Amino acid sequence: MRTEAIDPPGIDWLRVSPKYVKVRLAGWALGNLIVVSLLSIPLVLVLTGVWTWPPVWLGVAIPAAALLLALWRLVLIPRQVRSIGYAEREDDLLIRRGIFFQRTLVVPYGRMQYVDISVGPVERSLGLCTLKLHTASAATNAEIPGLPASEGARLREQLSARGEARLAGL
Amino acid sequence: MALTPEGAGGPGAGPGAGGTGDAGWLRVHPASPFVRGWVALAALLFFFGRDSFERLLQGGPLFDERLAGRAPWLLLGGGTLLLLTVLGFVLSWYFTRYQVAGGYVRVNTGFLFKQQRQARLDRVQAIDVVQPFLARIFGLAELRFDVADAGQSAVHLAYLRADEARQLRATILAHASGAADGTPAPEPGQPETAAVEAPEQVVLTVPPPRLAGSLLLSEQSVVILAGGIASVLLSAVTENRNFAVFLIPAAIGLVASYWSSFNKGYNFTAAVSPDGIRLRYGLLDTQAQTVPPGRIQALKVSQPPLWRMFGWYRIQVNVAGYGLADSAGEGSARTTLLPVGSLADVLEILSLVLPDPGTPDPAGVFTAGITGIADATAEGSGGGQDTDGGFVTSPRRARLLAPLGWRRNGFTATETALLLRSGRWWRSFVVVPHQRTQSLALQQGPLARRFRLADLVLHTTAGPVAPRLIQAGLDEARALLDAQSARARAARKRQKSEHWMEPAASPAAPPADDPQEGPHHG
Repeated sequence: MRTEAIDPPGIDWLRVSPKYVKVRLAGWALGNLIVVSLLSIPLVLVLTGVWTWPPVWLGVAIPAAALLLALWRLVLIPRQVRSIGYAEREDDLLIRRGIFFQRTLVVPYGRMQYVDISVGPVERSLGLCTLKLHTASAATNAEIPGLPASEGARLREQLSARGEARLAGL
Repeated sequence: MALTPEGAGGPGAGPGAGGTGDAGWLRVHPASPFVRGWVALAALLFFFGRDSFERLLQGGPLFDERLAGRAPWLLLGGGTLLLLTVLGFVLSWYFTRYQVAGGYVRVNTGFLFKQQRQARLDRVQAIDVVQPFLARIFGLAELRFDVADAGQSAVHLAYLRADEARQLRATILAHASGAADGTPAPEPGQPETAAVEAPEQVVLTVPPPRLAGSLLLSEQSVVILAGGIASVLLSAVTENRNFAVFLIPAAIGLVASYWSSFNKGYNFTAAVSPDGIRLRYGLLDTQAQTVPPGRIQALKVSQPPLWRMFGWYRIQVNVAGYGLADSAGEGSARTTLLPVGSLADVLEILSLVLPDPGTPDPAGVFTAGITGIADATAEGSGGGQDTDGGFVTSPRRARLLAPLGWRRNGFTATETALLLRSGRWWRSFVVVPHQRTQSLALQQGPLARRFRLADLVLHTTAGPVAPRLIQAGLDEARALLDAQSARARAARKRQKSEHWMEPAASPAAPPADDPQEGPHHG
């Protein structure tokens, strides 16, 4: 199925760093390692004869299904990362993400309460950061992951300056 | 931020500071710790008194003989505990002091761990005067001052004498509105001159029978009835009488919940004053809320299916200071602008919330939003245009996804607010003023993409209303995203001040008559 972008046409999206794929991969590997190994415990117990109940095929099928799901998501990661974009317009910041579940968010500069920059260990080693905007609404959830550190700092300053200029109350 | 630590400034509440005349700092009523902490006192008394009381009932001596030797110690222990509790109460009362001056309300509390808090008066989102039953007996009231920090009240003053609390509310509102700004500001620390309470005009009341009826026909009752029938059937089929046992605690919980709703909603009165919308309600515990103009972030009119036969509606709002409504608790009562009312009542309240509806025919548009449904014959992919009110509904292709709702789910925009409607059986109608929109998001899942549909979500502050346009045509949603951000931008530019009354208008007394005039921004 052809994916039609839901965002308004005629916007030059800035994409996040391709290196962000590695961050997502690290998270994917860690998360799925835990899930698959947890799901494999019954299999191990059955094979060693401690448990008798789940038959071997079931013991194999469950972690295998989890692994398949994980692999499918692995294939999607590069596309998902490519789909993340942001655009600074005159009065608001646009953030889009997702391929199957798309979301395009518009945050007016005047509505920003504060801007966060956070850096995790994997992001730090790659020189990336995550920028998060907060408005008075908890539902806003405006996050731009995978920004190069310099771009993150620039964007933060830019957003703060624009927010200052267009400050509105609640 | 509205709340700032006061730092080194402000008169200290040290042991040396005596008397209430200390630079305009006032104390709450001396009885308040006892009213607030009566549970602790009662528990203490219960704990120590139960044994003796039981013996008395049984006709025995007050103290067991075996206990006689230990009685002095027990009494000493109990007495010490009681004394410590009372001492704690007295100390907490002594060190709690407040002041309303210079555009701030300041409260100092704490004896070992001191807290000094000040909140800007013009940041007030809502102000409540609450009278729990016990406080009401003593003629006391609690004042709550909410700023936009979602949930916890910034300033609690518990308890003041009821007339004092009302007076203080009037003073705070006079300053917050800017009505008192014309007078020369008194020296910091000097007590403010008493403000005249803005006159109010009762708009509507909810008669108790209607409230009781609405509770009986609420969603809750439907679920309960279904559960009851299911359990009776189950016990009949399985011949297991144990199901009845589970019904007893359920019934107790039920009665408690209905009682709580009835207690909260009893004698509901909505009034309008230049200081905003006033709500008063409560049977045993009474509460008087004041929501200043322009503080309502979003509003929802909803109708459970069973209410339709009587034409009843409920109105809930998001106010930044109230936060999320906890289930059936105090929060849900505070965020309810109208527990049950007719269409006329709803339109009345809407006209208070949106003094400038931004459309020549507000009643027609709102009615279309609340009860309207698009013509089934509306053709074309561009979405049906409702005849009355101009609601743009989901396109015809959405009927497979929402066979009932597609003619109902829709939006329209007036010059001041975005109106969203949805639900064929569970009707709901949401109003978001343009200047209150925080951010917008367009969302689409895989299923919606097949039908070229998208949802538009408006983000507002925490509360019971979550504005969402369901299953709009992709092109309409896209256009709305652009148009709505432009409208919100324009509205933000028009919005001027947090003071809802111009200081020049009338320095001492707020304008009395026309409630439609003062309260709204630009």
